[in-house]
Amino acid sequence: MVAVPQMSEGTPPDPLRQLGQRLDRAQRERAAETRHADAPPPGGLGFGFRIGIELVAALCVGLALGWVFDRFVGTRPWGLIVGFFLGVAAGMLNVFREAKGLIFGPPPPGGDRREGRLE
Amino acid sequence: MASETSPLGQFTIERLVSLHIGSLDISYTNSALLMTIVVVLITALLVGTTRHASLVPGRLQSIAELSYEFVLGMVRENVGDADGRQFFPLVFSIFMFILFGNLLGLIPYSFTFTSHIVVTFALSLFVFLFVTVVALIRHGIRFFTFFFPPGAPIIMAPLLVPIEIISYLTRPVSLSLRLFANMLAGHTIIAVFAGFTVALGIFGFLPLAFNVALLGLEVVIAALQAYVFAILTCLYLSDAVHLH
Repeated sequence: MVAVPQMSEGTPPDPLRQLGQRLDRAQRERAAETRHADAPPPGGLGFGFRIGIELVAALCVGLALGWVFDRFVGTRPWGLIVGFFLGVAAGMLNVFREAKGLIFGPPPPGGDRREGRLE
Repeated sequence: MASETSPLGQFTIERLVSLHIGSLDISYTNSALLMTIVVVLITALLVGTTRHASLVPGRLQSIAELSYEFVLGMVRENVGDADGRQFFPLVFSIFMFILFGNLLGLIPYSFTFTSHIVVTFALSLFVFLFVTVVALIRHGIRFFTFFFPPGAPIIMAPLLVPIEIISYLTRPVSLSLRLFANMLAGHTIIAVFAGFTVALGIFGFLPLAFNVALLGLEVVIAALQAYVFAILTCLYLSDAVHLH
């Protein structure tokens, strides 16, 4: 038999470990580059759409709460009126929070996500 | 109104198997059929590819692993490493369900169940109630401090607390409305332009070309809306776990 030429005596390269190391490295690199890219791209139309929905939804919830309050307490029409204004305010607040996160960039990784809260 | 040629005809719910319990109509509809297909497909994809998982993944196994890691990364980054893990199954199920529902709905003659606000609102209401229950279990009565912005003067409470409560109750509405409106608008526009294609005869290639572009855009929107729904679920969970 022909002697198989031996490589260096110590550790033969373990293919699994090598693959693991390569995977780890690739994942680290990918994590670094996608960290700031994970927010949906703020396209103009999509952004407007989100803002609009946020406004309408808050207004509807405010109106609905006011209407229900009226029905049970019998203060018609004041619950509806107050609910309307509170709904508008809540919608503005939601829009403000959403826009703050989009315009001023994504929050630092691992940091507080609720940037928009009034501090 | 919703005739076969109307752009809105595609959203018609049809009973496939009529089922009634008392006055309750629980018929098996085309919407339910698509949901069943979606669940079966997701299960087949995930179970089928991971049962005989190879070290170097094939194509289908790559899809399964990529989606798994994508959602896991999303949950970890937004909810936190230790806290997020227990919510991963929920977020992953929601993400895959909506993603497959949106994508399968793009196939001609199929049905988009996410274009019905009943479906999206049921999903978002479930998320909302789940998040609220998690917050109440985690923080008990302290959860209600969530409705008062920290640092605000106490005199402002009568004004701020109702606004914050409405803002909180808006979550399920805006969450469901966003997905529903995107799907409804996209599919309606495609159907309208398809109608132009037929009506214009020889010049129909113009709306046809536009429709090809629109369909590409719809694929992006289908994935993006599933992503948005999942990431908002993550953010709400993060709020519930960490409060402020």
